[in-house]
Order: sequence, then structure tokens, then C-alpha cells
Amino acid sequence: MKFLARKIKGNSLWSDALRRLLNDRFATWSFVVITVYVVMAILVFFNLVGSSWQESMGPSREAPDLSQGPLHWMGLDIFGRSVVLKTIQGTYTAMYVGLVSSLIAIPIGVLFGAVAGYFGGWVDDLITWFSTMLANIPEFLLLIAIAIAMGKGTTTVCIALGVTSWVGLARLIRAEFMKHKNREYVVAAQALGGGHMRRIMKHIFPNVLHIVIISFSLRFVTGIKSEVILTYLGLGAEIGQRSSWGLMIADASGELMQGVWWGLAAATAAMFPIVLAFSLFADALRDAIDPKLRH
Amino acid sequence: MSSSDILVSVRDLEVEFSTREGPVKAINKISFDIPRGKTVGLVGESGSGKSVTSLAAMRLIPNPPGQVTGGQILFNGTDLLKISEAEMRKIRGNKISMIFQEPMTSLNPVFTVGYQIAETLMLHQGLSKSQARAKTLDLLNQVGIPNPSQKIDAYPHEMSGGQKQRVMIAMAIGCEPDLLIADEPTTALDVTIQKQVLDLLQDLQEKYKMSMLFITHDLGVIADIADDVVVMYRGDIVEKNKTEEIFLRPSHPYTKGLLACRPPLTEHPRRLVTVSDFMTVDGKEKVAPKIEYVNPTRSFTEAANPVVLEVKDLKKHFPIRGGIFGGVVDHFKAVDGVSFSVRKGRTLGLVGESGCGKTTLGRTILRLIEPTGGDILWKGQNITHIGSEPMRQLRRQMQIIFQDPYASLNPRMTVGAAITEPMEIHKIHGQKAERLARAEHLLEKVGLPAKALSRYPHEFSGGQRQRICIARALAVEPEFIVCDESVSALDVSIQAQILNLLLDLQEEMNLTYIFISHDLAVVKFIADDVLVMNKGKIVEMASAEEIYKNPRDEYTRKLLSAIPKGVPKTLLDRGITLPNLNA
Repeated sequence: MKFLARKIKGNSLWSDALRRLLNDRFATWSFVVITVYVVMAILVFFNLVGSSWQESMGPSREAPDLSQGPLHWMGLDIFGRSVVLKTIQGTYTAMYVGLVSSLIAIPIGVLFGAVAGYFGGWVDDLITWFSTMLANIPEFLLLIAIAIAMGKGTTTVCIALGVTSWVGLARLIRAEFMKHKNREYVVAAQALGGGHMRRIMKHIFPNVLHIVIISFSLRFVTGIKSEVILTYLGLGAEIGQRSSWGLMIADASGELMQGVWWGLAAATAAMFPIVLAFSLFADALRDAIDPKLRH
Repeated sequence: MSSSDILVSVRDLEVEFSTREGPVKAINKISFDIPRGKTVGLVGESGSGKSVTSLAAMRLIPNPPGQVTGGQILFNGTDLLKISEAEMRKIRGNKISMIFQEPMTSLNPVFTVGYQIAETLMLHQGLSKSQARAKTLDLLNQVGIPNPSQKIDAYPHEMSGGQKQRVMIAMAIGCEPDLLIADEPTTALDVTIQKQVLDLLQDLQEKYKMSMLFITHDLGVIADIADDVVVMYRGDIVEKNKTEEIFLRPSHPYTKGLLACRPPLTEHPRRLVTVSDFMTVDGKEKVAPKIEYVNPTRSFTEAANPVVLEVKDLKKHFPIRGGIFGGVVDHFKAVDGVSFSVRKGRTLGLVGESGCGKTTLGRTILRLIEPTGGDILWKGQNITHIGSEPMRQLRRQMQIIFQDPYASLNPRMTVGAAITEPMEIHKIHGQKAERLARAEHLLEKVGLPAKALSRYPHEFSGGQRQRICIARALAVEPEFIVCDESVSALDVSIQAQILNLLLDLQEEMNLTYIFISHDLAVVKFIADDVLVMNKGKIVEMASAEEIYKNPRDEYTRKLLSAIPKGVPKTLLDRGITLPNLNA
């Protein structure tokens, strides 16, 4: 990717960050892995891949067999369905939960954090009080409560994860806003006649955006992992239209005793690269875009 | 001088930094000596390579991107660049120690100052805990910390900037080093504190007979302290000589420029001389223009210079909270009953030490901080309590230029966006294209090329950034500008350029300034009238000339006596005056 890095023009902190990312081997490979998963999820969404996953391909719980073609590589499940296709289907669920739960949590966190940090006073007290209260309820209890109240399903998992996980980001953003609002460039904007919205959106926000981006990629991983755990606990995806890695792992709890390891192995093997890639990418992102880490 | 008299000998030192555009030479084969027990002043502007030289001597150049590519640094005959890292550690902080520019960040905030000093002593001198504490007390006493037995257990945040720098000095001299490197140790300090720290360093140097390498951008500062001076420009040594010789007979145009660009205290030139008056960018000598001296007291008439700003009994008190329930226990009176007025087209200087309330006053006048009491009248209209929208409209007429040009520009906005933003806010100067054209014009006015528009603040030097800030303030065509320590963070040579620019703009656009500074020399040059502030109150108010000639208040006298004379004392004592370089 170095040849791409050399092509980037401009000297803004963003183009500089992109140049750094492209020069970072880990970041580049992580990005390639993430892209492969995203493309896979999109293909599944449009039913271009793995739409026939519910069809029976052979005997129940057939062991992995390399000779019968790719669909048999990871064996078959209790209903004789291809584990490879189920895993591919699960990619969609995982990416969906990661994305949607982040898209819910991050705007809430940013909004509350920004408002609390910028305005301070009673607004800050109120938001801090509310978020601390929320953070003090054990997360899984809250998730279980929401899941029970709203009924099971992938969307419930997304909402439950979204509304419970914004607190950490809100605290980070609040601290950054408190720091930046008294910086001279923000006071300068005020002296020039800029109102609150301009100062928040045009001046402070771009300077804390790196935190949002980094926490987005970290949230994504947490979303994927939490979906698996919640589904395993029986609160997540229902057996229905789409498969999920969590469901596969949940099934494995009974199957492992009978020596059926391939369902669990396939789900774990699919999860491992994406979780690792996102974590590495978040790390590289922080190195590239956090102004504090610059020389 | 025999070789045994030389403590440090730098020979053909070369340092390179790798950048995206390829390797850049920061230091280009420089050679100089530091004699035993003497002080060498290393002078040059930001980026001249003076700090890199000192870091090379400590073997502290960050690698990558930096690398020493050649030469020797002989310390007592040993080449510091050849010895092992373990051997170097024994020398660093022990035989060679260093004080940095920023006392605020060079002390660890979570340890007491006593602990930080004692740690060095235990590490290098093998003292026991109680011995180290006793020696720390003695050191704090030597560097003039009041009440050392209490202050030894204080945390850095409980001390003032000057005290922190004293602690740094105590730490540096703790192991009785052979060489003390002082990297701009007084640049971040007020003039009064600067004088105290300089006196202290000189005393300690004589007492311990150590050598000192004093790095500064201001030749005036080292006039008294240095025995020899080395002048650096863009990685080269352009001149080295005895201090007296440098002041009496500077040979390189850059040295001449540095000597001439300080605001003089006795005469009143119309413009300050700058380095570029003496030499071209590539170092060729120019014939310096003759300085035009003017009558320091500019006359004014009621018709042409009506009072535009009137401040009456202005107060800003910050509540101090304490007790279990965080109630208000007292008030910190940052501004305490200040009254004055400013006339159109004139400059009011506001002088005082850090913490005297001058910045708060400047910001309160612009209602960037809400006043506690009193009135602010702008062209007769009381603006103390007007709503945020009318105040926002008024901001077109009143602007501010801050001290730190690095902090006052948004790093994520191009220069073009920064300068057009105020026009956008006030919906003036038509559409985007017209606004950009106007921004281009403003950049030209402050002496920057039009292509700067699409670039980002971090690509500019401190002086250039301050020019951008000025252009941004001018974008709304203000009548009145508060310059809050606007030149304090800049090198003297750059400071002269910015002061000239401010004067030119005032003349051209009939601007009114309030010029805030801790440096009376700068204020005397630029201001018509001067207010001296101490502890939130005005202690003296008079014309700039009058303040300098007949200071009435004790505090004003203290400020005046702290200004570096810019002439070696040995010359002053013999009644020798410096040659007029522009004659």
C-alpha cells in the first residue's frame, strides 16, 4: 500500500493520518480483513451468497470432509446443513449487530458528552448523574432486562447494546470538550462572533473526532462479541431467517459432548480474524490520528 | 588557551533529521569550545539548531528521526559520541546537567519537588535517604526558595513558574556538574523573574566553578552572563567571539540584526530594525536603512481621536470554593476596580507580571469573560450587560490577538477557512470566492504569500502563525484590537517584525490597540499611554515616555530595572556605548 501512500496529496492532519495508516503494515492487512468481512456481509444481505444455507446437504452431523466440495469442508449440522454456509450467514449477523449497535451508542455518547462538557453547570451535573447511574447497573442485567422487555431478536440485541454502552464514550468526549472549550482557538472563534453551534461543530468536534472514530472501531468488536455472548445466553438471535455465530456456539454446548466440534470451531475461526483485525486497526488508527501521539 | 582549560570541545558536529522530503541537515559541521568555569552563550532563532546542539551533547537526540552523522563532542578529552550508553548515563545528570525552557512541564506533577531532587542525588551520588534530604534542603536554600523546609514537601503545582525553574536549577546543580546546559531557561518567565533567575545562575556558576552553555534567542539576555558568544543561523555558526567583542564589533549581518532588533529604551524609532534589514534570506549582507527617530509623544485631538472605549470601576472576581460542601469561602480578585479610557487610533499599553490580572482585564473588556461589576462603554454605549446577539454583532468592531500562535488557530482548519470564517459569521464580503480573494489580500497585507490559503497552521512557524492570527482578526475590519501578549512567545527577531506590522496596520487603518505585555521595553515602544497593573489594580498610569523617565510607583521601578540592558555590564561600567549599527 506504500505506493498509495505516496499518492496522497495535501497536508491536512487527515491526509497525513491516511498516509500513516497506509504505511502501517498491520493497519493495511487489518483493513483488508475488515473489507473482506464487510463485502461478505453485503453479499449475504442481497442473498448472493449462502442463501441456500437451510437446505439439507447430507446426513445429520456429518464430519468435515474435504473430498465432497467446499460446502462440506466444515461438516454438517444436526439438520444436515452446511456449517460453511452457516458461518458465512453469521458474518452478516455479526457485522449487522456491530454496526447498528455502534450507530446507536456513538451518537448518544457524543451528544451527551459534548453537551455536558461544553455547557457545564447543571446540564453537566444532570448528564453525569444519569450516565453514572446507568453505568452502575451491571451491564448484563440491564441487557437481559431490555431483551426480556423487547422480546428476543437481533434488533433487540442491537438496541440493548446501543443504549447501554454509550457511557464510556460520553465521559471521554465530555473531558475532551471541557479541555478544548477554553483553548485559545475556541475563544478566538467566540471573539470573532461565532455562536455555540459553530464552536461545538466546526471547532471542537473535528478536534475530538479521532476519539469517535477509534471508539467506533472498538465498539464494533465489542458489539460482535456481545452478540455472540447474548445469543449464547439465549437472549439474542432467534433461530429463523439468518444464522449467527452465537447460535452456532450455543448449539455446540450440547454437541461437543458427542464429539461434534466443527460448529464451534467454524464460528470461532470466523470470529477470530475480524476481532483481531478490528482491534489492531483501532490501535493503528489511534497512532495515526491522535494528535497527542505526534512528535 | 591550553587544551586543559577546555572542558567541552565540539568538533565538526553534523546532525541530520530524516523527513518525508528526505534528510535535512539541522547542524552543519559546527565547532566551538566551552572553557572550564566559563559561560558560552549560544544564540540563534528558532530552528537555527541551537537546541539540537545541546541535545547532541547530552546524546538525547531522538533517533529516529535525528542522527549525528559526523564530528566529535570531546568532554574532558573523551568523545561523548563514542562511549557506551551505560557510561553516558553516568555522565548525564551528573557531570553534565540540563535545565529546560518550560519549568511547568519538566517537573513530574505526582511527586514532591523534594523527592525529585533527592532522587537524582541518591542515583548519582549514592547518598542515603536522609543525607539526600539534608542536601536537598541545602540546595533549595541555595537557589533561593523561601521557606525550604516547608517547600521540600510541596508538589510542583503549589509553586510559581519562577520557583519551579529554581527547583529545576537545584536539581541540575545537585551533583555539582562540570557543565550546566541551560536551554532558554528564562524564555517562559516574566522579565522580573528572568532577572532573578539570571542572577542566580551567575552566582551558582561562580560558586561551583562550573562551565555553562546558555542557549537563548535573545542576545540581550546573555550580555551579562556569557563570557563567549556563539551565534548560529540555519545550522551554521556565523560568528563566535568574546561577548564584549560581539557587542562592540559584530561582524556578521545576522549578529548585527539580532543586536539591533530589541526595542530600545532610550530612543524612539518609528519602526524597529529587523534582521532582514541587515541581510537577505540567503545570508548576504545588505546596507541597513537609517533608523528614523520620531517624537515619542504622539499628539491627539478630540476630533480625530475621540474616546472609543471607557472602562469604569471594572471588577472580575472568581469565587474560591472550599469547605466540605464546596461553598464559596472567598473571592480571587483578578480585576479589582479598574478605570481608564482609550482614544481612537492610539495604543494603550497594559503591563504587569503573570497573575496580575491583565489578561483577565483584556478578555473582560471584550466580554469573553463576564465582569462581576463596573461598566464597559464602547463609543458611549454601555455594553456590560447587552445580550449575546447584539454583543456578537459588536464583535465585528472589537478583536483580540492571543499570545500563543500555536494554540489560537484550529489545527483542523486551513488558513483560508480560518480567515474567511469571521466573514462568514458576519455575512460580509459576498460569497465564498470573494471572501477568499479578500483573505488573499489580507495575507498579503500581513506579509504572507497567497498560496498559504490552502495550507494548515502546523506548516507555519510561530511568527507566520501570528501573522495569520492578525489577518483573521482584520477580516472583520475591526476598529479596536486587544493584543494579549501577542509577541511574548516569539523570538526577538520575529517580535520586531510583528511589532512593525502592528504599527503599520495601525497607521493604515487607524486602529486602536490595547497592548498587553509583561515586557515594559516592548510596551514603551508600541504604546502611547501605559497602565501598570499589580494584583488586579492599576498602580500607575501615564504616557509611555513618562513611565520610563519618572516612574512614580515602586512596582513600576521594579519592572523597569528588570529589563535586560542588552549591553554587557563591563562595558556599561566603563561608560562605553554600543556603536549605532544603522548609522
